[in-house]
Amino acid sequence: MSLRLENISVTFDGKRILEDFSTAVAAGHVQAIVGPSGIGKSTVLRVIAGIITPDSGRVLIDDIDVTSVPIHRRSVGLVFQDNQLFPHLDVAANIGFGLRMAKVPRIDLTQRVNELLELVGLQGFETRRPTSLSGGEAKRVALARALAPRPRILLLDEPLTGLDRELHDRLAHDLRRILTEAGTTTLLVTHDLDEADLLADGVTRLGYPDRTHQGVPR
Amino acid sequence: MKLRPSSTTAIALIPAGAIIALAVFIPVVVLALENIRLSDVFSVWGRPGVKEAVWFSTWQAAVSTVATVTLGLIPTWILSRYRFPGRAAVHLIMTAPFVLPTVVVGSAFLALLPDALDRSVWAIIAAHIFFNISLVIRTVGPAWSLLDDDLIHAARTLGASPIQIWRRIVFPLVRPALLSTTALVFLMCFTSFGVVRILGGPGRATVDVEIYRRAVLLGDTSGATVLAIVQTIVIATTAAIWMRRRSIALSTAQSPASSFHRPTPRSLIVGAYFSAALMSVPLLALIVSSLRSSDGLSLRSYRILFGFENVERLPLDIGGVVLTSILFAIIAVVIAVPSGLAAAQALSRRREGSRSGLFHSWASAFFIVPVGTSAVVVGFGILVTYDRSPFDFRSAWLLIPVVHAAIALPFVVRAALPIVQAIPTDLRHAAATLGASPRRRFFALDLPLLRPAVTSAVALSGALSLGEFGATSFLTRRDTETLPIAIARLLGRAGSLSFSTAMAAATLLLVLTMATIALAEVGSRR
Repeated sequence: MSLRLENISVTFDGKRILEDFSTAVAAGHVQAIVGPSGIGKSTVLRVIAGIITPDSGRVLIDDIDVTSVPIHRRSVGLVFQDNQLFPHLDVAANIGFGLRMAKVPRIDLTQRVNELLELVGLQGFETRRPTSLSGGEAKRVALARALAPRPRILLLDEPLTGLDRELHDRLAHDLRRILTEAGTTTLLVTHDLDEADLLADGVTRLGYPDRTHQGVPR
Repeated sequence: MKLRPSSTTAIALIPAGAIIALAVFIPVVVLALENIRLSDVFSVWGRPGVKEAVWFSTWQAAVSTVATVTLGLIPTWILSRYRFPGRAAVHLIMTAPFVLPTVVVGSAFLALLPDALDRSVWAIIAAHIFFNISLVIRTVGPAWSLLDDDLIHAARTLGASPIQIWRRIVFPLVRPALLSTTALVFLMCFTSFGVVRILGGPGRATVDVEIYRRAVLLGDTSGATVLAIVQTIVIATTAAIWMRRRSIALSTAQSPASSFHRPTPRSLIVGAYFSAALMSVPLLALIVSSLRSSDGLSLRSYRILFGFENVERLPLDIGGVVLTSILFAIIAVVIAVPSGLAAAQALSRRREGSRSGLFHSWASAFFIVPVGTSAVVVGFGILVTYDRSPFDFRSAWLLIPVVHAAIALPFVVRAALPIVQAIPTDLRHAAATLGASPRRRFFALDLPLLRPAVTSAVALSGALSLGEFGATSFLTRRDTETLPIAIARLLGRAGSLSFSTAMAAATLLLVLTMATIALAEVGSRR
């Protein structure tokens, strides 16, 4: 599944957040957008997910225009910077949420949830409450939840920000492995160039003189 | 090192605990032990009016509760999820009725509704909705305002449709708040006394009104006691079962609603203004009605109320009544605020010293139970308990404001607790390391930080005392009549003149209540 953004412009309260922004991610690739905070990186992800409707421009998945498709029919997984786990559901129910929405039979649902728990290294965490998780564990659950319904595109918003150094490095390597294993077309945003280099196949820089400059693959 | 000996906790609870024990627990227990004739325990249910009162209490409370919660959720959603011009004013208008005297609310609906409706069950239900909608806004609102927009977005990216969002996210997250609100509204409507005394009539009496009727008008003390005790036991048991079920709090959402851009749809703003306008109609009707007399709009009813015009000699010394009401309110505030704040301080020190966990949960329960004990039962209990030689408090007027304080205390404690808990203990330690003595710490640190708590405590206890009707009905004497009692007496008399005078008196009580709240607000800003 390839992703393409064409000439996206977004305005809030008369303030231009994105102007004529274009980028593309090839099918199965992991692309990173790097730039200082407040430059509109999160807005890009929100436009792709459908949370924000752009003033102009198009979002294309596999060359099909999805700009006017509502959020819940887009099949785009988004991992929020602060995870946004459902506080009233346990870990298994959080991961299975998207599958339930898709009315996946219970047996298949349980099996898929177990697959994902294994993928993110959280076997045995099924009945834990989100409140009892550490920052790294919560991030893994959020990632598993987004991947469970097999989204066409996966979006990660500052996936490693706010974790302490040691956890940061361990999760970074795990994340790279998970993304490779999942094979999902992924777009992530971060302010940390090292992090982008570590996780992504290609890097786009935002907020520098040439906004749409295509980064050099490692 | 022992910075704060654990015994101070217990000592701080003593004044408030003593007042509640003296004015609520002991009277109810004495009532149960001394006044019941065993034969009445079963026979009372067959007496005229009793079964009807139980049935009426139940069904009108059920209808009122469903209507209140359903109608209340819409403005609650708008007020907790959106910012728009005039939001604060709308919030104030929607939540103010809760501190209004029941007699004022009853009078307002008497003034508002046409004669054909004003003494029907629909008037009672409408008044209950008006009165309790603020409970929905106050309890469900905070839960919804903690609901992060991105949590909803997360569910949507996972394929949840708008309806599924409501079923799986929005509703489950407020369910604990919604359930406890529903229970509380039901309790308020079931034990409704002032509103039903004014808007009710034959066949439209709640259990509380029936207790009053049996005890005061029919002299069936034993029968009234059976009803009072059975009602108290049922409520206390239900509340205990209720509180055992732990609820998931929304405390997990650290950020109070995402700051993400979210314009308020015009239709919602209009809806909010419309609900506020609707909520102000009864009170406007009350004021208009007090200004209406046979010769059009005039201040005649006020001239009569204040004795400048002597028409058919209404037996009312308004000056004395107002003075009594204000005096009682001041005494109630002076008793309830310091003892309530001390109790809140003590209850907030839960985490220090785990050994006292059990003590704390018992102490907390002690301060909640009076909420479930109806004021009518309290008044009745005091009437029979302190009617003996060592006390004979019944003739002592001081008893009334003490009871007002006891009734206000649980609300004061609950309102002050979150504010007190929000003050970090280390702040005091920091002040101490900077050389502040305990005395200086209290005046320089605790008192300024406690100001919001003092404000709400003063406003709550003052307003509750001014409007208290259930317990005062039992304890009042000719020379200790308060405004709500005088209004109810005026409304009980025939004639349009006493009606419009009652409306003027109710307006006066409304103004006094608002002034109390405003005064507390201004006092805390200084």
